[in-house]
Amino acid sequence: MGRLISTRLAAFVMTLFAASIVLFLTINILPGSAAKSALGMEATPQAIARFEAQRGLDRPLVVQYVEWLSKTITGDFGTSFQNSVPVGPELLKRIPVTLELATLAFLIANLVAIPLGTLAAARHTRASDKTTTFAATVLGAVPNFWLATLLIMVFSLNLRWLPPGGFTSFVDDPAQNLRQMIMPALSLGLVSSALLIRIMRASMIEVLSSDYIRTAHAKGANETIVIRRHALRNSLIPYMNVAAVEFGFLFGSAVVIEDIFRLPGVGSLVLVGIINRDFPVLLASALTITVFVLVVNLIVDLAVGLLDPRRVKGSQA
Amino acid sequence: MISVLRDFDWRRWRLVLTGGTIIGLILICAIFAPWIAPYSPYDLDVVAMLQSPSGAHLLGTDELGRDLLSRTIHAARISMEVAFIAASVGLIFGTLIGVAAAYFGGLVDMVLMRFMELLFSFPAILLAVVLMASLGTSILNAMIAIGIVFIPGFSRLARAATEVVLREQYVEAARAIGMGHGRIVFVEILPNILAPLLVEAAVAFSYAILLESALSFLGLGAQPPEPSWGNMLNTGRGFMGQAPWLSIVPGAAIFFSVLGFNLIGDGLRDVLDPYMKE
Amino acid sequence: MTESRQHALQDRIPTLRIRDLSIEFARRRGDALKVVDRVSIDIWPREIVGIIGESGSGKTLTSLATLRMLPKRAVIAKGTMHLGETSLHDRSEREMRALRGDRIALIPQDAMQSLNPTMRIGRQVGEPLELHSGYSVSSALEAAGKLLGSVHIREPEKRVLEYPHQYSGGMQQRAMIAMGLALNPQLIIADEPTTALDVTVQAQVLKLLREIRDQKGASILFITHDLGVVAELCDWVYVMRNGEIVEDGAVRQIFTAPRAEYTRMLLDATPSIHTTPAVAR
Repeated sequence: MGRLISTRLAAFVMTLFAASIVLFLTINILPGSAAKSALGMEATPQAIARFEAQRGLDRPLVVQYVEWLSKTITGDFGTSFQNSVPVGPELLKRIPVTLELATLAFLIANLVAIPLGTLAAARHTRASDKTTTFAATVLGAVPNFWLATLLIMVFSLNLRWLPPGGFTSFVDDPAQNLRQMIMPALSLGLVSSALLIRIMRASMIEVLSSDYIRTAHAKGANETIVIRRHALRNSLIPYMNVAAVEFGFLFGSAVVIEDIFRLPGVGSLVLVGIINRDFPVLLASALTITVFVLVVNLIVDLAVGLLDPRRVKGSQA
Repeated sequence: MISVLRDFDWRRWRLVLTGGTIIGLILICAIFAPWIAPYSPYDLDVVAMLQSPSGAHLLGTDELGRDLLSRTIHAARISMEVAFIAASVGLIFGTLIGVAAAYFGGLVDMVLMRFMELLFSFPAILLAVVLMASLGTSILNAMIAIGIVFIPGFSRLARAATEVVLREQYVEAARAIGMGHGRIVFVEILPNILAPLLVEAAVAFSYAILLESALSFLGLGAQPPEPSWGNMLNTGRGFMGQAPWLSIVPGAAIFFSVLGFNLIGDGLRDVLDPYMKE
Repeated sequence: MTESRQHALQDRIPTLRIRDLSIEFARRRGDALKVVDRVSIDIWPREIVGIIGESGSGKTLTSLATLRMLPKRAVIAKGTMHLGETSLHDRSEREMRALRGDRIALIPQDAMQSLNPTMRIGRQVGEPLELHSGYSVSSALEAAGKLLGSVHIREPEKRVLEYPHQYSGGMQQRAMIAMGLALNPQLIIADEPTTALDVTVQAQVLKLLREIRDQKGASILFITHDLGVVAELCDWVYVMRNGEIVEDGAVRQIFTAPRAEYTRMLLDATPSIHTTPAVAR
């Protein structure tokens, strides 16, 4: 297990490093625009030159990258072009919001997908299987931002059960926090579950046709025991690998969903960074989301290692 | 002729036909929008603002009194255009990269595919959004950004398919008789890896529609007054209480196009690979 | 039958009696494909009975029918099956579950594939005790240790905690046998249990099966396509082809004076056995 962790950690650091280069280059590849958007379109060339010189934007990209990276590693995310406020503290305030949103959504997605996928597989080729598969196909085509809008219309505007947006910290008021989080998490989680249902079903069907399941039946185990004790763990191994990717996508979709529900998370900060062309803000928030994705992949990878004894001992990779 | 129809295995092609019908209808809307739409999508009518669906305006009007049905029909153009161009960008560049990686192998393979894996590790929306920040907000840039997002997926698939083809005898033979790289790639490899790439393209179409509408929804894609389902949905947000149809209609349009392409993709996969089913 | 079966006179009821069993595969257009046709088999107490035949001869389906674990589209069209005095052909699924693993055990062909890769061997071996005798997990695990010891696995207390991939092929098959033995079943169905093993390990497993018969008094239905194994292990043999029984008889008689043309062909295809009269006992 120790070796598995260390190789995975090394790969994680390498990927993160490479990802930071890609993000930095993508955002900074077009010169001059940052100054224009910060100073306005009528800014004189002198003013632009001064703006760029002050922030070191006139230097070669490599130099800028090295400087940015070394600062970022020490936790200094620079200051906003827009209002000269340090980005780091702002980011720190927003991280819990996005983490809570994505985690809740992931929980919902799995709570829907694992039982439904299992059920569909156990009733393979029967009506309830067909219904589930059809429902998953339909659900998978729903844009999560549309689902979010529909949820607001029904539960906030018509039934007036839930607030249409805003954020209260879980520490301050847990009940209000959950009331505000449930719709954002549902719109992300339900749509994600569509894909996961299909993965779980396929994985479970494969496992249920294996020889060791026949062994379990030959021992006199009933359907419930066969699925719970023998099939579930084995079918979760391939499932979790896909779920990890989906978890990463949830962080990406947070950009849209946080905007709809006015959640002050990292995702909506990405949007603020883009609309203001505030590159330090954009870079810091996009990098944070990338870190979330990579960390989630790392954790799930190790968790799958725990599920699968073949990977714990004698691990080659 | 009749016997051909009778022998055709409808069950096998059920999904493709259903999806194809949906997409066909949407394509007709996109192509013939000016003739089908009852009104111009841009004509303001201050007297008829935010009207609910009626005989005159089947799906109602928006906050500027424009006919929602006409705007929805016209918006199909942008969605289909983006889907087509973005998927093509992804397909062409992804295939080039994937084939090159498999064909040349070694260092080329490693560098290209590592980079693709890296791009793959970003969530698609985040990558598209960041690219939009760099390219600037416009619908053309949205097509490019979404196309770039698709490149890693296509390249991975193309590489795997090419490796299978390369193991076949006839590529060996082509090499032995001194066929050049270009001819081997275009004559021997590309035709043989097309099938899985086309299935992936159907999926890419649906994903492109989702991404474009998400970008336009955030104000980063198609810019008003040009109608796109995404920016119409964005406008609708402001009038959810008074005019729910402004949110329901464009969302439903996105839903049906995504569903249509997904059904085609699923169906093609089943038809091309009978072992995947059951 | 030239050589009468001694048991038939002593015990009046066989361990397993199959009469006129027919199995059919349902096909799309309503007609059915008969894959096992009017098969009758008797297995007497303490007897090792072989069914020999090529793949597709229906031998495995016959054994699965005994457990009522046929693949989904296969159905028992006709015939009766009795385990002692208990009828099998008309049991409900629930009643069958009570018999499986308790009175009938299955030792499958591919032990590696037949063991759950993510469950400790001990838990799997002791599971019949959990299912049928209300053992707790820990006491089942303890019993599993003893069972593993009885099939000659060294350091069984340590080995119960290991996973299938940590076992060699021979050990995996012995673990499967230990699992089958957990509740002292009357009947053990061994479906080509030695096919995947190399020759020395194969010999050990066969020896173990004979020991089980001798010490525990179980009857064994041994399914194989290997005449050599039949000669070494079985008392009585049924030869199957295309879903039908071609002939049956005591091992010595089948090898020395086969009556069916097909049996003769099988024997000719394995000359080393034909010439060696080293028939088991």
